[in-house]
Amino acid sequence: MIHPTLIKKQRIVLCLLAVLIILTVMISMGIGDAALSYDRILPTLFGAGSFKESFILFSIRLPRIIITVLAGMALALSGAILQGLTRNDLADPGIIGINSGAGVAVAIFFLFYPVQSGTFVYLLPVVAFIGAFLTALLIYIFSYEKKQPLNPTRMIIIGVGFSLALSGIMIVLISSQERAKVSFIAKWLAGNIWGTDWPFILAILPWLLIFIPYALYKANRLNILALNEPVAIGVGVAVKKERLLLLFTAVALAASAVSVTGGIAFVGLMAPHIAKSLVGPRNQLFIPVAILLGGWLLLIADTIGRNLVSPDGIPAGIVVALIGAPYFMYLLLRK
Amino acid sequence: MFRLQTENINIGYGEHLIVKDLTVEIPDKKITTIIGSNGCGKSTLLKAITRIIAHESGTVILDGEDISKQDTKKLAKKMAILPQTPESTNGLTVGELVSYGRFPYQSGFGRLKKRDYEMIEWALEVTGTIEYRFRPVDALSGGQRQRVWIAMALAQETEIIFLDEPTTYLDMAHQLEVLELLQKLNEEQERTIVMVLHDLNQAARFADYIIALKDGQIVQSGNCESVITHNVLKEVFHIDAEIGEDPRTGKPMCITYNLMKEEKQQ
Repeated sequence: MIHPTLIKKQRIVLCLLAVLIILTVMISMGIGDAALSYDRILPTLFGAGSFKESFILFSIRLPRIIITVLAGMALALSGAILQGLTRNDLADPGIIGINSGAGVAVAIFFLFYPVQSGTFVYLLPVVAFIGAFLTALLIYIFSYEKKQPLNPTRMIIIGVGFSLALSGIMIVLISSQERAKVSFIAKWLAGNIWGTDWPFILAILPWLLIFIPYALYKANRLNILALNEPVAIGVGVAVKKERLLLLFTAVALAASAVSVTGGIAFVGLMAPHIAKSLVGPRNQLFIPVAILLGGWLLLIADTIGRNLVSPDGIPAGIVVALIGAPYFMYLLLRK
Repeated sequence: MFRLQTENINIGYGEHLIVKDLTVEIPDKKITTIIGSNGCGKSTLLKAITRIIAHESGTVILDGEDISKQDTKKLAKKMAILPQTPESTNGLTVGELVSYGRFPYQSGFGRLKKRDYEMIEWALEVTGTIEYRFRPVDALSGGQRQRVWIAMALAQETEIIFLDEPTTYLDMAHQLEVLELLQKLNEEQERTIVMVLHDLNQAARFADYIIALKDGQIVQSGNCESVITHNVLKEVFHIDAEIGEDPRTGKPMCITYNLMKEEKQQ
């Protein structure tokens, strides 16, 4: 019962985004500190590059590009689900305390765990993931009311409160520490893509492979939940159960992204929002668009960020925020 | 036989009980109307029976089983409800909204099957909304929108239909149209209709069974002749009503009324 022209439009938008992502990936592969000229990219991809070229492409650039795209996708999908659940277009994984929760966990781990280079990097995402999850769980417990279905507004307010409190804790934690350690945490918080190795891709990819189809499977329920509770219950949606499952999905996706990229805000807010303004609010249509947009946005941000200042670049989270903050203002002013 | 009944049900928000220890049976394949003054608990009762709000204690029984123990999707195949409708529908088209009524029959990714399309078509047809199929619900007038929501409830293809004030927002002609549609569904397809109505004369005209509530308890229930009486209306609404006979239907009707003056002075 959706107008056929809208479905056609969505297909076109999807194709365009796919092309844009491929183009950006190509550009991103070719720029960076070490030279890898554009005419050498394809031969290197197919195994005909020199050792140096292969190393730059396969060990440095490609993992980073893939991780960035995947994290952007996960954040966008998480934001899309949260916006649907809370019936609030300004909802974002950061709002339910994911970033700050993971941040505190990373800070504690980094400051008090003896750094042994072997296991440390691989434990860090696990720690971030657990931190994000515990925070979300606490927010859920605090917004729980007996015999009542989960109240989205209450959850947002408690989430914002937790976010602020955890940020405060983090400042206390790191203010007493030495500079070198603080600098890593500060960069982590700013959303510096740091998990740039193939194992990290394996850590985030399964979540997406499971939850993208799952979100699309739940799209119709999300549509109905977006109306209001009585309507959803009336047509037989198990509101309580569905909310919990979808919330879990959103948290898992955001936590998996944050664990390899650090705290990145705004992608989860912007991508679903732009997608909705392109193809309308139906979840089955805008979710795929939002996913591609999220991946693309974060890739652009990281490509700009890592090449803007030598040698370390600007964290992608900051570049995204530079784009995202004005967009957020525009949203607020428009309403 | 009663498929649907409540047993000693208490409903309330926190400490404050709105419906107290209420036992009521809904006659099968009949039109039942709940009447009562504002805040008497009639909408609350409807919401508790349809599991939209939880009740404190007691049970709602459908087909011999507590509804809180039944699968909510299966329940949605047995009973549909026209609830308080949301203000905005996010640009959904009429056809889409009505298709949500088919949710209990869908599995997997929610593709509509032939039977679903037939039911949606039928629901749009009988509510006179088929011409708006591709229009956004938000662009319709209040009355048209109300009929679209009724169409959604009808698309659920249930034997029991609950309606919370189905005639609000509608002009006189459209009010009658909706009520006659419900009557037709009841007569031709033997569906059980339970609704909250404000208009006593409409209640008397269309209902086989009326439940008059006051402060969450039944004052009187039965056919219209036994409920639409001077004494019951005095008790329920605090009005001094003049009851006559509808010259066309022969049903009792409230011709005119005053507030109970003497009680006010006390």
